[in-house]
Amino acid sequence: MFWRIYCKGESCLLNSRLTAIALFHSYVLLHASRKTFSNVKVSISAQWTPSVQNESLPVWEEHRLFADEEEATLFLGALDTIFLFSYAIGLYVSGVIGDRMNLRYVLCFGLCGSATVEFVFGTLTEWLHLYNVYLYCGLWVLNGLLQSAVWPCVVAIMGNWFGKSGRGFVFGLWSACASAGNILGAFLASSVLKYGYEYAFLVTSVVQFAGGVVVFFGLLTSPKEVGFGPAVESDSESQRPLMSDEEEDEGCDGGYYSVEQSEGPQEELPQPISFLQAFLLPGVLPYSLAYACLKLVNYSFFFWLPFYLSSNYGWKEAQADRLSIWYDVGGIVGGTVQGLVSDFLGKRAPVLAVSLLLAMGALVGYSHSPADQVVNAALLALTGFFIGGPSNMISSAISADLGRQDALRGSQEALATVTGIVDGTGSIGAAGGQYLVSMIESRLGWMYVFYFFIVMTGGSILFIAPLIYRETRSMWRDRQGLHQQL
Amino acid sequence: MKAGCLQPRPAVVVFVINLIIHTSCHLADLQICHTCNGTLLNDTVVGRFCSSSDGRVEGRCCFQNLNSSTTVHVIGLDLSNCSLDQIDDLQDASTAVVIDLSGNPIVNISDFVFQGCSALNEILLPTNLLCPGGNASWESIAVSEGSVICRGQKSMCNETRHMTLFCPENSCCAPNGPGFFSCRCIDGYHGYKCRREGEFPFIQVFAPIGVGMVMLSILLWVVQRRKVKTN
Repeated sequence: MFWRIYCKGESCLLNSRLTAIALFHSYVLLHASRKTFSNVKVSISAQWTPSVQNESLPVWEEHRLFADEEEATLFLGALDTIFLFSYAIGLYVSGVIGDRMNLRYVLCFGLCGSATVEFVFGTLTEWLHLYNVYLYCGLWVLNGLLQSAVWPCVVAIMGNWFGKSGRGFVFGLWSACASAGNILGAFLASSVLKYGYEYAFLVTSVVQFAGGVVVFFGLLTSPKEVGFGPAVESDSESQRPLMSDEEEDEGCDGGYYSVEQSEGPQEELPQPISFLQAFLLPGVLPYSLAYACLKLVNYSFFFWLPFYLSSNYGWKEAQADRLSIWYDVGGIVGGTVQGLVSDFLGKRAPVLAVSLLLAMGALVGYSHSPADQVVNAALLALTGFFIGGPSNMISSAISADLGRQDALRGSQEALATVTGIVDGTGSIGAAGGQYLVSMIESRLGWMYVFYFFIVMTGGSILFIAPLIYRETRSMWRDRQGLHQQL
Repeated sequence: MKAGCLQPRPAVVVFVINLIIHTSCHLADLQICHTCNGTLLNDTVVGRFCSSSDGRVEGRCCFQNLNSSTTVHVIGLDLSNCSLDQIDDLQDASTAVVIDLSGNPIVNISDFVFQGCSALNEILLPTNLLCPGGNASWESIAVSEGSVICRGQKSMCNETRHMTLFCPENSCCAPNGPGFFSCRCIDGYHGYKCRREGEFPFIQVFAPIGVGMVMLSILLWVVQRRKVKTN
């Protein structure tokens, strides 16, 4: 694992490390506040529904945004979908903006703006007793757009400091930071939940805002800002396909964004590839669909786990939040371990296949988990290991495999387009799935939601089956070739 | 005549005090007590109750001081034979113990009129009407002299076992009128459905965050951005 830092000297080393740490923490905070909504779903749902009265008048001033819990749950799912859609759209737009404007300003604007919107969404509406469906939707669209500004800037700044080919390691690290953010968010929310769900939003948004301020004052977007020039040749390495001996894990939410060539030395601009051409390339469609399925499952756990634990087992919301942490723990371990294993093997697809098959088993097991908290936590960690792992890896597998295609080799823009398509489809699939989850839960119950997840995971395996077959075959061939040589 | 008011004292002070006293006495002059003409008579049900409780008569109402306070509240209301054809609001008399509505051509009266009348123990209604809250809310129901008498309000909280299920966690059932109950939050809990506990410690949470933010910003600025060269 090499950190190809874009400058020399002790001071530059320090600056680069501080930059990485600052970016890491800002992304953790972003995910912490993103998770807050799923941590307080039970409380918000209770706030929106009337108190249960059967024989006499309701005794509280009626907060009847929704007539019953079912409708409230559907709206919660709709909000998740809205957020993911606007996040996906924002990703496309933010990359463009980030190229044209100061990265530090965009990053800070995204962090502070998103924090403000979340404060208005969760805290201000409660303090003012302003419950309105359209207000919630509008705010959440805004939140999605603002949050989408963060990831491309993070990748771009990391690219400025650590070179484009250090991406694999960056993504490996960032997959851990998303899960770390989820864990932090769960802790924060569960600690202040007893005062009211509005305080969970207040705390996480204030902390995120503070992070944005620190970033504004303390971040260097590029070594050039302090006069360090690139001392290491950079772009000969980015000519190599991404499937190298580096970490291959993907970015937290697959929001992979290419670093536009504005800072490094110029190379001949490759032929841009049109959207339709990119879409029709072999492998793009299957990967998009597979990624959509897996991302759906992973995101559903992210958004619904505390709500499921609380409503299905009857545990208190704060307890459910703390339990949901185990899924992210499993995800971190899974991403790391499976990344290392696939590094060792030199091939990713077989590892993915095995993990996804075991994930289906883990889902079956988890859906039948007893009401014991310890057992539940263990099964949850296992599920997180088998689902979070491939989800963290599959995007880089896509980049690597597609990068090896002759049509795209060496073409950064084309690769970015293709990856954008795959990521975008994945995000849209995940977005649509959130509302489906709430609908299935309302009509059929949680067990059918798990069947749905199992079907999705199976679908994901099916879609990448050709790749698995190809890689497994070439792996056997390599092994045979090796034996013949010996 | 105005029982309960102080005796007047000499000079200007007297005038001022009188003004204050008369005003305070008239504060108890509720609209409902003058719904119809006449005053509370001694030989009516309400009248007998009023004299036995040492209450003060005002129009059709009987007032009594709350325990050791200067505010008064209605304990009896007699609107019998008032030619009323509907009763919409008894809010002012929600503390009444005895209410007499007999002898009025009331067609029907909504149960919700009595919501909040938790002290109500006896009510007389015209014969065609049912006791508010139904027969299950009263200990005894009698028909006599052209009126229905409902006596002994039963607390809805004891009534049926499943009442406790209706009050959300952290709240207790309390009677709230015939056929009504309310859920009061137990100590320490407040808010909608009694879900919130305690007061959020603003200072303890935000002071460290603020201090940390300022210190980190300064630290990182010194280490990183101080040397920034602007082109």
